[in-house]
Amino acid sequence: MFGVVLVLLMIGGAVFADLLVAAEPNRISPRDRFQGPSLAHLMGTDQLGRDLFSRVLHGGRIALSVALISIAASLVIGVVLGLIAGYGPRWLDNLMILLFDAIKSFPTVMLALALVTLFGPSLTAVMVVVVLVNVPGYARIIRTQTLALKSAQFVTAAQSMGAGTARVLRAHVLPNVIGPLLILASMDIPVVIAIEAGMSFLGLGVRPPTPSWGAILNDGFTAIRDTPWIAIAGGLPIILTTLGFTFLGETLRDVFDPRLKARG
Amino acid sequence: MKQHTMTRRSFLAAAGAFGAATMAVPRFALSQDGSVLTVRSYSDLQVLDPAFRLSLPEDDIIRSIFAPMVIPQAGDTWGWKAIAVDSIDQLDDVTIAFTLKDNIGFTDGYGQMTAEDVKFSIERIADPAMESPYAGDWSALKEVEVKDKLSGLIHLKNKFVPLWSTTLPTPASCILSKRAMEELGDKITTQPVAQSGQYILADWQPKQKTVLRRNPDWAHEPGGFDEIHILPIEDPATAERGFEAGDLDYTWTSVSSLPRLKADPPAGSVVLEKPSLAYVWLGINQDVAPFDNPNIRRAVQHAVDRQGVVDAAYFGAASVGNGIIAPGLPGSRSSVTYDYDPDKARALLEQEGATNLSVTLDILNQSERLTAAQVIQANLADVGISCEIKQNDSGTFWTLGSKDGDYWNKLQLILSRYSMQPDPSWATVWFTPEQVGVWNWERFNNAEYKALHEQGLVESDNAKRDEIYKKMQGLMDESGCYVFLTHEVVGAIHRDTIVPGLKPNGESLFSEFKAA
Repeated sequence: MFGVVLVLLMIGGAVFADLLVAAEPNRISPRDRFQGPSLAHLMGTDQLGRDLFSRVLHGGRIALSVALISIAASLVIGVVLGLIAGYGPRWLDNLMILLFDAIKSFPTVMLALALVTLFGPSLTAVMVVVVLVNVPGYARIIRTQTLALKSAQFVTAAQSMGAGTARVLRAHVLPNVIGPLLILASMDIPVVIAIEAGMSFLGLGVRPPTPSWGAILNDGFTAIRDTPWIAIAGGLPIILTTLGFTFLGETLRDVFDPRLKARG
Repeated sequence: MKQHTMTRRSFLAAAGAFGAATMAVPRFALSQDGSVLTVRSYSDLQVLDPAFRLSLPEDDIIRSIFAPMVIPQAGDTWGWKAIAVDSIDQLDDVTIAFTLKDNIGFTDGYGQMTAEDVKFSIERIADPAMESPYAGDWSALKEVEVKDKLSGLIHLKNKFVPLWSTTLPTPASCILSKRAMEELGDKITTQPVAQSGQYILADWQPKQKTVLRRNPDWAHEPGGFDEIHILPIEDPATAERGFEAGDLDYTWTSVSSLPRLKADPPAGSVVLEKPSLAYVWLGINQDVAPFDNPNIRRAVQHAVDRQGVVDAAYFGAASVGNGIIAPGLPGSRSSVTYDYDPDKARALLEQEGATNLSVTLDILNQSERLTAAQVIQANLADVGISCEIKQNDSGTFWTLGSKDGDYWNKLQLILSRYSMQPDPSWATVWFTPEQVGVWNWERFNNAEYKALHEQGLVESDNAKRDEIYKKMQGLMDESGCYVFLTHEVVGAIHRDTIVPGLKPNGESLFSEFKAA
């Protein structure tokens, strides 16, 4: 429940940022720099006098949209490829496994740096990295489960009743394999948020002045001797979001697999 | 056999004791034998060729491994110190006599340094066929005459005022082995051969560390440390953290950190503030749309709140600058010819029908530059120009405007910082027509400017030089290609266990660092 509340708070903060805080996230006011938390600025201000609370809430939009869009895209692509690999002919399965392993063998950071060097820093580049990194894992899980179900009696029965491949996969295989993947996906969201924050921290994510938790964290690192509030403002939402989605994943696991809950 | 079990309590006690011990043992900035100096440079090395060097940290390494005739003198006054020469004297306006020290050798079996090597090294930089960006340092050179094995005469075509301030004490006087260069090719990259300085390059791990080791064959005043480890750390704020963590013995600090560090220096350290010869400006490429229209360039000049940019980026530690020549030198100005006037900027844009302009601003990935860039971005947004900031690492940044690359014709706005030697000609030389696509990335191309630059090189009357260099900066203002921001100040911090060898403007001379 705690996870659900945290996640809802984060999503609510991001969605209703404009209503929750009046300060414009990119409005510069150097005379107000490095202010501590106050009623006027709930989380203080950064080195350019920008309101940190506003930047954190608007940064949440970036973090959550990157996470949700790229995880959703990874899920769709991973599911399709996993079903094809698991249900298709052996040679195709072997080829796809080789491809998944090849992509998986790239260290995430190196892959991200290579893509950013090729295409330049942008939100799209970050999302492409996330999709590339996650698809092989998701596809492998679906493939393994599909292989196990391929010769199950209810699948054979559907085939003997004339169901085509697409229908078998959509109506009989997919509903039985998607559960574990949803749990995994929810637990991957904080990982994706950390990737986006890390790229922005290095100056390779969103372009300034767009607020991003990683960029705020970087500002905080630079000014840590002047004020700790910027680093706190950048780090706190990353920690809370990570906790929230991790707890949410565990809740989902309990829902999808009650046996684990009983054991736990 | 006795069983050792670790309880939670004993683990916490042991961890606590270890932590306390770690805190109690003093941190040694130098290694146990006091012979390793660890310093930060703001960029990694890319070229070790005196004729093609790219950055100040490379200058320092080049000067340490290829013996120069002279180096700048460490201390608070500008001067020079002989390194490879026993004597060097100006006989008249156009003749300099030199005699090399007798026993300087080149590594890798390239024998003794001779006057032939001096002739080769100097004429190589001056040779137009070499296309060295530093050819201007020796623009007055006629020839180097070899008198005997160790001595010779440098003949100039005409009087050259900056010779002793900005030519000889730079890597332009470093002496290479003629034989090595002829055998191995005409350029030095990152793997030097025939080294001859107080130190030799022992190791280079790209983006991690450069190690200079004391040259065992150097028979004169030795370097102060067995090894100098140079860590490339682009962001000064990161370097400050490294210094405070005990990983560095010396570093430049960010200007914005100076007030805090001066008020509360870390234990066992000394904080220095030096007047800077650097200049920071917003450059506008006049050959790329929309800035091929002079009125749009002028609109940017009026749109940028220079005081606001400097205050935000440097937290009040630096003042607004008015040109490329630092205070105290002939040609230093007290104002520019454009003012902060957003209404005028909007009017110019409207007059040119420039609406919904979208431009890019390239910067070095460094916190102060990013802060300055964001204020500029806000200023431009205020007059209706949308500006995207592109952060670049140093390797990319320092090649952005090069005519050999493919980005110069996309480069629009650039936030730059150059440093100079203590003569105004060393600032103006980078903006001559010959430098277009080399270091002149605004592609400012003005024949009158060039003529004035050449006039300044032979004029020894300071009042007249002042007039010449002010006029040149006026031409730069008029072109609309420049928004001058600041000369900064130089902040540095070092352990009290070392005596840093620094030029009056705070730039380091690795070979002059000593243990306290």
